[in-house]
Amino acid sequence: MKRPTPAVWAALTAVLVGAACITLSPYFHWVTSWPAGATLPVTSWIGTGLTAAFELLKPLARTISTLLSYPMMFANTVLVNSPYSLTIGILTALGWYLGGIRLTLLVVSGLGFVLFSGYWIASMNTLALVFVSVPFALLVGFAVGLLANEFKSINRVVETTLDVMQTVPTFAYLTPLLLLFGFGPVVGLIASIIYAAPPMARNVMLGLQRVEPEIKEAAIMNGATRVQQLFLIEVPSAVRQIMVGVNQTIMAALSMVIIAAVIGGFNDIGWEVLLTMRKAAFGQSLVAGLVIVIFAILADRMSGALAQSEVRYSWRIALAVVLVSVALATVERSLLPGPDSYSAFKGLAAAADSYLNAFTAANGLVLDAVKNGAMFFVLLPLKIGLGQAVLPFTWGFMWTKWMSAAVYAVFGVVAVVMALRGSAVLGLSLLIVSGVMIVGIANLPWPFMLVSLGALGWVAGGPKLAAFAVTMIMAILLMGLWEPALLSLYLCTAAVSVCVVLGGLIGLVSSVSPATWSVVRPVCDFFQTIPLFVFLIPVLMFFQIGEFSAFLAICAYAIVPMVRYTYHGLTSTPEELLEAAVASGASDWQVMREVRIPYSLPTILLGLNQTVLYAFSMLVIAALIGTTDLGQQIYLALGQGDVGLGVAAGAAMAILALVADRLVQAFAMKQRQALGL
Amino acid sequence: MNKVSKLVSTCAVLTLLSGAAYAAELGAVDEPIKLAINEWTGQQITTRIAGQMLQAAGYKVEYVTAGYQNMWQAVSEGQIDAALEVWGSNVTEQYKQLNKEGKVEDLGELGLVAREGFAYPAHVAELCPGLPKWEALKDCASVFATAETLPEGRLVDYPGEWGTPGADRIKALGLPFKAIPAGSEGALAAEFKASVERKKPLVAVFWQPHWAIAAYDLKFVELPEGKQECFDDPAYGPNKDATGDCDFIPTRVFKAAWPGLKEKWPAAYEILKGLKLSTEEQQPLMGAVDVDGKSAEDVTQTWIEANSAAWKPVVEAATK
Repeated sequence: MKRPTPAVWAALTAVLVGAACITLSPYFHWVTSWPAGATLPVTSWIGTGLTAAFELLKPLARTISTLLSYPMMFANTVLVNSPYSLTIGILTALGWYLGGIRLTLLVVSGLGFVLFSGYWIASMNTLALVFVSVPFALLVGFAVGLLANEFKSINRVVETTLDVMQTVPTFAYLTPLLLLFGFGPVVGLIASIIYAAPPMARNVMLGLQRVEPEIKEAAIMNGATRVQQLFLIEVPSAVRQIMVGVNQTIMAALSMVIIAAVIGGFNDIGWEVLLTMRKAAFGQSLVAGLVIVIFAILADRMSGALAQSEVRYSWRIALAVVLVSVALATVERSLLPGPDSYSAFKGLAAAADSYLNAFTAANGLVLDAVKNGAMFFVLLPLKIGLGQAVLPFTWGFMWTKWMSAAVYAVFGVVAVVMALRGSAVLGLSLLIVSGVMIVGIANLPWPFMLVSLGALGWVAGGPKLAAFAVTMIMAILLMGLWEPALLSLYLCTAAVSVCVVLGGLIGLVSSVSPATWSVVRPVCDFFQTIPLFVFLIPVLMFFQIGEFSAFLAICAYAIVPMVRYTYHGLTSTPEELLEAAVASGASDWQVMREVRIPYSLPTILLGLNQTVLYAFSMLVIAALIGTTDLGQQIYLALGQGDVGLGVAAGAAMAILALVADRLVQAFAMKQRQALGL
Repeated sequence: MNKVSKLVSTCAVLTLLSGAAYAAELGAVDEPIKLAINEWTGQQITTRIAGQMLQAAGYKVEYVTAGYQNMWQAVSEGQIDAALEVWGSNVTEQYKQLNKEGKVEDLGELGLVAREGFAYPAHVAELCPGLPKWEALKDCASVFATAETLPEGRLVDYPGEWGTPGADRIKALGLPFKAIPAGSEGALAAEFKASVERKKPLVAVFWQPHWAIAAYDLKFVELPEGKQECFDDPAYGPNKDATGDCDFIPTRVFKAAWPGLKEKWPAAYEILKGLKLSTEEQQPLMGAVDVDGKSAEDVTQTWIEANSAAWKPVVEAATK
């Protein structure tokens, strides 16, 4: 028998600590719940500290706020006061010039929908916000990406910062932002820049990293300066990846529109969505939400055409379109109805509502069965463990201590047998999984979590990662947010597992079948940009307030990056590699397995990272359904104007996401090294 | 204090001396008074009525959409000048804090008679025949039970940030129920909607005036009468060992303003202070907006034109 590897020791330690926790927990209460006396008043420290700091920073912040309000007001005035025929005309002309007849039709029908929905003025307010926030976010993201690429030493710091920017939910720092920057749309603008810049930075970093070394060397040999190398050679060759970043930034900025509305300050389309959501008026909120989706799709396709295709269409036609629209605009006030007088989709909205009602009424039993099935047999066991979830009422029998003992015995034997056969880690891991299944994620004792995460970190990334994981988890414990944190962990674990499997599959199918992708792509755009508030209503009507509804809402949002990045990774394999594989007689499936998947692994892993982060960021929206996890704490803080609790709960959420992400990434890295990639 | 406002207040004093009783100066008529428009229809109606009263007095008015939870900092800094329908039941801690520090001024009650309680759609009375008597809930708990709450009944509570009145009352009254916090007002409305469509049992903490009361034919459970004693003295109410074993005390609905309002627009301050709107006045207007789909602007304008007797005296008292 070989000497035990560190992984075996780690797994063994986790098993022993877990076993100790299970035996001790009936006698010592502190094993399962962190003693309240050991909680530091961190939230009130943060509250006082930040409030003091804000008093200092306030003048500066208010200046920034004033400065930002100028471009914002300018864009706002121009867009709101321009006659709509002129705005539509100019955008149509641009669409024609960039993308020919197809893009023209898209622009006309999209903007036509916006106009006829009666939300023209509101959507121009929204557009003003996006017009200002996207360039800022792109600029910030690009600069950060470049810097991280130039100075490798700050790479890790930058990545952590980006993760934090994406994981600390906006609602958590809304109160602080309001205190600092004052009331109004500028706060929405700043929040939107904070949230939308990271995807750009990330993709710039990844794109520059993956520029072929030969290309770089060629530039150096030609005597280019560093700046020339960067901007003439490296950035252009990374443009495809960077465009993914641009696309994602635009999408993220549009998804933040709703946050800007929560603050208020101007009457935008997000505000309309909030109002209709409050009334549970699904149809009307869908129409308002679709307006945001339309803007996202138009911005995406136009920026795509601008960057990816060299073909430009006749500017004469474009000019003609503009001239016609100018002519129309001059008579608009007298001849055409005002932008607020349209309401073409009222009937449609009402139809959607009554369809939803009828559907709920007709399928009540089926919906209940789906919900109860998922709750009883998947979610609840995951949450509170088989030990508590298996009841006569649901499973038909009562879980007893003897059953737990039997399961442990069986898996213990399996572990020993597997250890003797040389796969001790797998055996011990199975034993741990069986333990988690019986105890449940929400009931995991904290000593076990500390030790096992530390051990995992050690195995995956050495002492540094282990220390990181342990300190971070300790921070949550000390803040006294352990219970909501475990609930968050449970919801996200469930959602991410489903998203990875389902999203990966959809991405895979899309990459081989363009027809599928042509359907999947707009659906992805739709889910990523429509304010998910819109879907809370039907989800609530089908499945009522509760965790299953929250779980579905998280899945709907977090699956998109998995699909997108899998697709993008699988389709961006260099032609030469594919040709070489085909020439050597590989079948389609072999090409996929041997060439495409390994080559695309880094991109897919980025997708996994994004899925984890998205799932955590969605917890806050899911709290509107009614959950009891960290997301709800953030709302409580928002309601009480409690700066400390908000920031602490946001930080705890970011910590969970970061630790999960770092562990996954470290294991993936190890795997890649093992495969020699 | 700047020169202009000094001048204004001097003028106000002079006017008083010259004999025009109790009326105030208009103040900075060229600057718009910014009124908060919050997320719910009733508030928007109240605000637009107030706005048109101010306009009738010769002011400019700007309506600023503002999140109800997040606007208090702005009110304390004068970025919003007044919020005209604030519910005592779910106003944030931040407001209480700022009000205590004198940074937000309470302008008195609006006149709405708000009621909160345990509400259920009318069809539920057939499923639990003892309703609306609260004792009926004891025997019907199993009717309201769901997968998550079994064997207890399910009571949908207010969103967490509004407090836990449902859970508190269940405990005090000893009801075999479990409180599930709704995440938002939309979630509450969706619950009622689904319950009515599917004819399923539901009881939730809710309030009126609200459009859903009429739309889903909601009734209130008759809990022991809510009085202050009930919250001070355990002996009051059916449970002799607990306080809070009774219905809600009627919520105070009031108006709040930036403290600088009084000085900058003295007459406007008087108008907003005098502003009253009753439940009977507001409810049909809410229906016209939420059920008939009219805009709040149109509805309030019609009301202002038709009911000058109700609001003119307030404006005149403040300006003449």
